[in-house]
Amino acid sequence: MLPIQRRSERRFESADVAVVGAGASGSVVSARLAEKGFRVVCIEQGGWSTPADYLSDQPEAELAWVERWNPDPNIRRGTADYPLTGDAEVRPVMFNGVGGGLVQWAAMWQPMLPSDFRTKTLDGVGEDWPISWRDLAGCYNRVARDMSVSGLVGDPALPELSYPNPPMPIGKIGMAAARGMDELGWHWWPGANAIASRRHGHLQACQRRGTCMTGCPENAKATPSLTHWPKALSDGVQLITEARAREIPLDSQGRARGVVYFDKEGMERLQPAQVVVLAANAVGSARLLLLSSSGRFPDGLANSTGLVGRRLMQHPYQTVVAVLADDLESWQGPWGQSIYSLEFAETRPECDFVRGAKWMVMPHGGPMFAVGEHQAAHGDLGFDGLWGEAFHRAVENIFGHSFTWGIQTEDLPEDHNRVVLDPEVTDSSGLPAARVEYELSENTRSMLSFNVSRAVEAAEAAGATETIVSGVWPTGIGHVLGTTPMGDDPDSSVVDRWCRTHDVSNLYVVDGGVFPSGGSANPTATILANALRVADRLIATRRQQEAAAA
Amino acid sequence: MSADSLQRATLAKLADVLIPGSGKMPAASSAGVAGELLNRCLSAAPSLEEPLLALLEAAERCEHSAFARDLATRSPEDFAVLSTVVVGAYYLSEQVRDLIGYPGQVPSPLSIAGEPEYLPMLERVYERHEGYRSAE
Ligand SMILES: Cc1cc2nc3c(=O)[nH]c(=O)nc-3n(C[C@H](O)[C@H](O)[C@H](O)COP(=O)(O)OP(=O)(O)OC[C@H]3O[C@@H](n4cnc5c(N)ncnc54)[C@H](O)[C@@H]3O)c2cc1C
Ligand code: SF4
Repeated sequence: MLPIQRRSERRFESADVAVVGAGASGSVVSARLAEKGFRVVCIEQGGWSTPADYLSDQPEAELAWVERWNPDPNIRRGTADYPLTGDAEVRPVMFNGVGGGLVQWAAMWQPMLPSDFRTKTLDGVGEDWPISWRDLAGCYNRVARDMSVSGLVGDPALPELSYPNPPMPIGKIGMAAARGMDELGWHWWPGANAIASRRHGHLQACQRRGTCMTGCPENAKATPSLTHWPKALSDGVQLITEARAREIPLDSQGRARGVVYFDKEGMERLQPAQVVVLAANAVGSARLLLLSSSGRFPDGLANSTGLVGRRLMQHPYQTVVAVLADDLESWQGPWGQSIYSLEFAETRPECDFVRGAKWMVMPHGGPMFAVGEHQAAHGDLGFDGLWGEAFHRAVENIFGHSFTWGIQTEDLPEDHNRVVLDPEVTDSSGLPAARVEYELSENTRSMLSFNVSRAVEAAEAAGATETIVSGVWPTGIGHVLGTTPMGDDPDSSVVDRWCRTHDVSNLYVVDGGVFPSGGSANPTATILANALRVADRLIATRRQQEAAAA
Repeated sequence: MSADSLQRATLAKLADVLIPGSGKMPAASSAGVAGELLNRCLSAAPSLEEPLLALLEAAERCEHSAFARDLATRSPEDFAVLSTVVVGAYYLSEQVRDLIGYPGQVPSPLSIAGEPEYLPMLERVYERHEGYRSAE
């Protein structure tokens, strides 16, 4: 238990703001509002994770991924997890607990491009955001400071940003990949990561263990239990852990009364609040809104458009592993991005698809991961091609001699990609599971195929003697977006530009669900910047906020 | 970990089908995958134990090479349990790690002092890039 937890025992009768979810966005909103004197109660279905819970500093680090620290809740099956059903082509992954996905994230820090906010105007697809890059610029820099981001400013492919720490070394893997990009004349830049390259804020300096995605044992990777919660708790936020929200009830005027949740003993409780903020991620918030149907909202709360749960986006992902003769020490961390490329992030007239992909170079982890990737890609080699002598040959070839280009694509918001309530399966509280329906579009397939071919070229230009191309990852990469899109028009969006639901005047959504379109950047920098922007707005308009009848 | 000696002997034989000795590399059984390393592997990933014991029981009276091959085609999920245990335990062995030059995910303090080697390449990125697509 974190010692600081004891300080938050104070109970509020009615909170100014009840936040559901202590993940990425919920942590930012809770901390910022409490700093300005709001009485905040945050309800989180999971508990705390600390370095003592990880296996990252033990030889078993790779085995953590098999089950306990696998990002797929259906494999992990922790007490805080709820089942994800359905046979989606890409199934979301997430972490449920204080910090949310940022307990396990790779910490790649990638603000979106200005054009990502205007896909409809510029390319005739997706949806424009009601806000622009400029509206987030200041918040991008503030959250980068709070998250101790290390990066190199000056990338000509992005507007000007600031990072509080110098970039991490790109390592031998980054140098090798960069040489390939240099040869081809393509864009690349040293990766920015929310990992401290030197002691900064609440973080220690990174020790390059490379276990970032199974939990950083050195407290060097930004995660809300380090970056936000100590201050939030001392500013008086009441964080109720192991508490699962089940409904947002309304008063007779149609305003949110608070949050009904099951506490850790399974008792149902109502936390009254003047304002309710959902930060349960694009799956969890949509699920909670759908669970909160009523006579007034028979299809789910704030769902007069029928859009709640729809337009799920996940950045479908493939990898190209470049195998070189050189010694690349490719197990060394961080397991964030060594370098990235935005060469193919924009629409190109010569392509048969619109929008684009972001690429990033990563290490391969330990030998189990290195050989696992090879085996997954080469199932066609049969038993003798993968095991026996072939196993040793593959390890000798790949281990320590390769780097991975990860290719994440912008998938467009499509109504049929959605989260619904499962009619049969329930979670441990008896609430319907989230059923996910998700199909890749032709646009995404073409984009993946084009980018994979280019990444093979980039690998070869870097000197690869062999490339290993994965299929589309059937479990996602933790990027869950859409489902409660933001927009000015109440007929075609769920929340307005301040992330307040069009239908319920004191109900907000601040997680990745509010993205009207997803760009191809790793989304967390934008989720956090937007959450901070919304918190600032709540602070500025405190007096005007309509609240539920007492 | 409740595997008995017969089950461990079966695992050792199956493991050697997957990872036989080769050159300097030891076979899985001689690296110790059916001994203490198995215990460590299963305590890190306890959900593997039950399906592993079930498949070891099924393999006891079979010819091990044929069993492993058949499992890989007939039941990929069970084969994944077997291969995860074998590969996972194999790379817990200090001897194996030394032989492939893997220190483990150990700390290795980074240095951010000095000018990065990549700067000349980065200058070229800067020179050739047309800038981002503007959008208000
Ligand atoms: C393995 C992995 C690697 C990733 N790497 C990167 C990366 O490198 N860069 C990047 O930008 N992004 C990365 N991501 C994505 C990143 O984690 C997410 O973008 C981010 O966490 C989403 O923030 P959020 O606020 O929308 O929701 P989350 O952080 O998912 O938080 C939602 C919280 O709500 C809680 N909750 C849900 N339902 C309820 C309920 N009914 N009652 C109470 N609590 C509830 C959950 O337990 C959870 O804690 C990664 C994700 C994963 C899983
Ligand atoms: S590489 Fe750095 S951030 Fe990642 S786990 Fe190691 S110390 Fe933590």
